[in-house]
Amino acid sequence: MSTSTETSESTTASQLEPGSFRDPESRVFYAGDGVYRSLSADGLADFEALSSSKLWERYGGEGSIVATDLLENGAGLPEGLVKESAAVLKHERIPFVSYPYEWTFSMLKDAALLQLDLMLAALEEDMVLKDSSPYNVQFEGSKPVFVDVGSFERYREGEPWIGYRQFCMLYLYPLLLQSAKDVPFHPFLRGAIDGIPPAQMRGLASARDRFRKGMFLNVFMHARLEAKHADRGGEVKEEIRRAGFKKQLIQANVRKMRKLVSKLEWSPPQGVWVAYGERNSYSDDDAKRKDEFVREVATSQQWDLTWDIGANNGRYSRIAAEGSRYVLAVDADQGPMELLYRSLRDDGDEQILTLTMNLADPSPGLGWRGAERKALPDRGKPDLVLALALVHHVAIAANVPVREFVDWLASLGPSLVIEFPTREDPMVKKLLAPKRDGLHPDYERENFESVLAEFFDVERRERLSSGTRLLYFARPKGSGAPIDLGAPEA
Amino acid sequence: MDLIAYLDPGTGSMLMTAIAGGVGAIAVTAKLYWGRLLVLLHIRKPEAEVESAQSRQQTDSA
Repeated sequence: MSTSTETSESTTASQLEPGSFRDPESRVFYAGDGVYRSLSADGLADFEALSSSKLWERYGGEGSIVATDLLENGAGLPEGLVKESAAVLKHERIPFVSYPYEWTFSMLKDAALLQLDLMLAALEEDMVLKDSSPYNVQFEGSKPVFVDVGSFERYREGEPWIGYRQFCMLYLYPLLLQSAKDVPFHPFLRGAIDGIPPAQMRGLASARDRFRKGMFLNVFMHARLEAKHADRGGEVKEEIRRAGFKKQLIQANVRKMRKLVSKLEWSPPQGVWVAYGERNSYSDDDAKRKDEFVREVATSQQWDLTWDIGANNGRYSRIAAEGSRYVLAVDADQGPMELLYRSLRDDGDEQILTLTMNLADPSPGLGWRGAERKALPDRGKPDLVLALALVHHVAIAANVPVREFVDWLASLGPSLVIEFPTREDPMVKKLLAPKRDGLHPDYERENFESVLAEFFDVERRERLSSGTRLLYFARPKGSGAPIDLGAPEA
Repeated sequence: MDLIAYLDPGTGSMLMTAIAGGVGAIAVTAKLYWGRLLVLLHIRKPEAEVESAQSRQQTDSA
């Protein structure tokens, strides 16, 4: 920890983080570009214990805990903490906030392992993590970072592992569901902010699952004990106290959990692996021209945040990263995102964030007042969007009118590289094949170009050599030098 | 034990952590269920009764 001479004066126009109200000892707020955390007196004492620990030095030093300064004269601001504020911390800003229901399997698993490693390290120094929420972990590219320093507190003798139930509901069960049953966890985590309760997880498991590693105790027995002792909270606490609950027991629990989680695996189906390495339905020349087109735009200026929507194998996310401070690689299909994440992790990448999300059904605002978790555009708008090999999926497969899709892109306010496959393109033909004739009259090149010119200044157009795909570069209306789309193509 | 966590650890979940802790948990679990056996055999009073008896005493002496 270092102390900063910055004072609370810089935090006067503060805005509370709506998703940070649950813990009465600590609350996140924003002022200007800064991210701050208000601490109660107890919260401050816990932070002082943490910031003088070896684990702070180790995990903070390697960037696995968010960089944090204790502000001098930071007390008293802002209102919003349930208890009286005693101090203010300043955190390093995470480039783009993401949520577990947008992560791939390996991302949730890596976040779980970080959570457990921090818990073990904390216990070594008579501290604990008071909760086990994956919302306390964020990603900087492929690197998980623990952001809730308010979760660390001094260990109180006799306490059990308070966060065990939450760990099961938000980490273990989602991972088990996907690993053992090949059922994606995303709808479950997006559907309930607290995750999957033990009784529900038991309902989702088959009798055979009793014999899977970790499931008998953590799912079946857990659900049974919960049902049996639901009304005996005070009694059970006293029984556990009498029995003499020791810190070593929590350590044993966490170590066992770590062993279990580290062995959970999931891999995309074989077809995804094959497609990941290929470029479907493109001639080599098309691929080369497309690379050049994207690279020219991506490196024409320094972009702050680029969204690569429909990112697939991340080829263009990587090209975009050459000229962008940070890149979001978004795809509805978890398979390629999982493989991309693994590859980025192997590279030690901290610039490209992989997210699994269907753009026709994107993450909404969730939780209390619909504001604890934010919708995608509310977390930071892009200044460049790549929408390559995407519009036909949105317009034909998801039935979103072309005009609405382009309108939505314009609402984000970015410059845009967009690819339009014509009706003669093999992939478009495939998507149209099961549909009745005449269902998508708006999916025509002329209409697309007229809509694009309505919302953007189109600066460049290029037809790929196969003839069925066109690339466009457009800027927000009023900021570009539009070309005449009626003129012959470049 | 006075739990002051903001998060409800869940009664069944607390028992799970006592039971599922491997070798170290055996003694705790044994003591847990030994305590219950004593209550069952009326050798020890259930916790709820002990608490209410204590609160009666405090009220009486007030």
